[in-house]
Amino acid sequence: MKRKNLLQSFNQSRREFLRTTAMLSAGVAASGLLSSAAYAAREKEMNIYCWEGYNSDKVLDPFRREFDCEVKAQGLISDPEAVNQLRAGDTKVWDIINLNNAWGRKQLYPEGLIKPLDKAKFEPLWDMMIPEFKWPYKWAMSDDGENLLGMIQRYGPSGVLVNTDKVSAATLEDEGYDLFLADDFKGRYAVLMYDDWVVMHVAIAAGFSPFRAVTDEELAKYEVLMRKLINNAAFLSDDMNAIALGMINGSIDGSFPGSVYTVSAARLDGNPNLRCVVPNKGPEELGGRAGVRWMELTSLVNNPQLSPRGEDFLQYCYRPETCKNVSFAEGTYNPVGQMGDPRVMALFSAEELDAFQYDTLEADMNKCTDFDIIPDYTRLHDIFSAAVREKA
Amino acid sequence: MNKLSRSADWIDQAEPRKPRKVSRLDRLRDAVRNPGFVAAVPISLLFIAGFLAPLTVVVLFAFMPPETFSLLQVPTLDNFRSIFAGTYYLSFVSSLELATCTVVILLVVCYPLAVAMVRIFGNKGSILAIVLAAPLFVADNLRLMGWMLFLVKGGVVSGTLQTYFGIELDSMLYTFSATLFGLVYIYLPFMLFPMVLGVSMVPPKLREAAFDLGATNAQVLREIDIPLAMPGIIIGALICFILVAGAITEAKVLGGTAVVMIAQDIQKEFTFAQNWPKGSALSVLLIAMGGALSWALFKRVDLDTIFGRK
Repeated sequence: MKRKNLLQSFNQSRREFLRTTAMLSAGVAASGLLSSAAYAAREKEMNIYCWEGYNSDKVLDPFRREFDCEVKAQGLISDPEAVNQLRAGDTKVWDIINLNNAWGRKQLYPEGLIKPLDKAKFEPLWDMMIPEFKWPYKWAMSDDGENLLGMIQRYGPSGVLVNTDKVSAATLEDEGYDLFLADDFKGRYAVLMYDDWVVMHVAIAAGFSPFRAVTDEELAKYEVLMRKLINNAAFLSDDMNAIALGMINGSIDGSFPGSVYTVSAARLDGNPNLRCVVPNKGPEELGGRAGVRWMELTSLVNNPQLSPRGEDFLQYCYRPETCKNVSFAEGTYNPVGQMGDPRVMALFSAEELDAFQYDTLEADMNKCTDFDIIPDYTRLHDIFSAAVREKA
Repeated sequence: MNKLSRSADWIDQAEPRKPRKVSRLDRLRDAVRNPGFVAAVPISLLFIAGFLAPLTVVVLFAFMPPETFSLLQVPTLDNFRSIFAGTYYLSFVSSLELATCTVVILLVVCYPLAVAMVRIFGNKGSILAIVLAAPLFVADNLRLMGWMLFLVKGGVVSGTLQTYFGIELDSMLYTFSATLFGLVYIYLPFMLFPMVLGVSMVPPKLREAAFDLGATNAQVLREIDIPLAMPGIIIGALICFILVAGAITEAKVLGGTAVVMIAQDIQKEFTFAQNWPKGSALSVLLIAMGGALSWALFKRVDLDTIFGRK
């Protein structure tokens, strides 16, 4: 029998062709269903939305290799933006969210955007933490103290940055934010445009706590200071490296605000004269604290198809070598809460500890109040935005 | 009866055919089978999903109450009231000012280059085109960061001048001029290539005839070159104007926010301010501004002429 070629078979029996096509289509559809079922399991993938550092290959590559897992990471520069994205439905996208402390307890968990962790698995790991974060640490727990909302790792004080060759840290500690707001400091500093942090520090400079409702009188004082801060700045930037570069090349002497992480890389690179300084005196209602201390809370997103690798990743972050990699991720160096464990501390050299100002870290943290949600944020932020737009 | 006569009989006997009544369904079927319709389906779907749908969401959000995240609310004009009561006009003015300056500079820079590429360099013009288009393969942010390192105090320019000539320069960044420089640099190809298209539409014989009739260079430029290249010039200017009006990175990276452009205000509303409706309202105003400008200009430009269909 003469064998048919493909074209002949196509021409001679359309019914046969249709049957074959239908079978092929069914096969493709079935394989699609199978692959979507495999996707649903998501054992080989994990997505993380985080501040810079956790998205570095230094942190993620060992995890990828060990768990044979595809990890996609996206960096963020705004807590509120990340919260909004989760609210808008991105809980389907992300497995891990890494934000500053208050968001988890005050907004993400009450709105059902993150999932509690298994306390039995994570409480023993808390033994590694420094005493300031001892179990049960407020910002890692739900309001009722029942649920563990995430892990605490990187932390730091936020005040202002200064080149100590130009202005001594002691002078800045004594004079406080007034030094930056004085006319003779005009054009000598940059404003780090992490909006909510600018708002918080200007409110504290104006003598009131940003973490409660603000009176009209306070708002008026805040506006005067905010406009002065913006108008007198050499430049405004959300690029902390550009600010550090400006301090190194001498085009500016400081930054308002600024945290240890903003200059830690530059300090390790031979510029120990760049320093984060927290003024000594703040509003009485904040216990005289002038700075704001932040601790990142890394949580599991309430993803309907949460990757099982999410919990693995959080446990992986407690390993001493991972703690060091998170602490010294590319471009930004920070202390980590797990430095309460001697195995973690042993991994840091004296130069590395000095990069994030370990000598004054505890003292600086004690001069700070905890980062919190700002109830009058809209009004305060509107004034900030208008000041930037109307910059003289 | 032969075949011919038989067919003639058949013709005679046949009743005159009535014109078939074309129903709406038939017309629809014909339209769907039309190759033009079929060819337009992919781009139409892309247009609906990628442009119209998000645009509709933005427009709807603009009329939602401030600081809300749902479209299922009573519409309001509060966002527009708040925008007009505030100083957002400053950002619009800055954006329009920078867009106008950028377009003017690009017109002056790109026209001679376009003429050279079409009339002087001949085949080598395409090499120049590749060289000029090459930066498009590198992300804007990276190119701008490169310029930042080039212009910053102690960077390539000021460092070199200080090292070899003892000239101390301050930072050349964080000014209106630095922002403008960044915009001109980034958007140059978007002006140049439509302009090259426009210049290539000028028939050389027409220019020769004008010269033969005694026209001066200036007269040829004014009465032949520019009018005939005008469609390309207008398209380039319009593309650049709209892109610059919506730009943000140049003002942030090179400008140090010395100038706040409207796109930065929009970004802030969507991010730090957590106010999607106001961000949407600002976007609607920007889109309306760009749309009005495009409409006004396209009334004067015949796209068919540009694409050689006339």
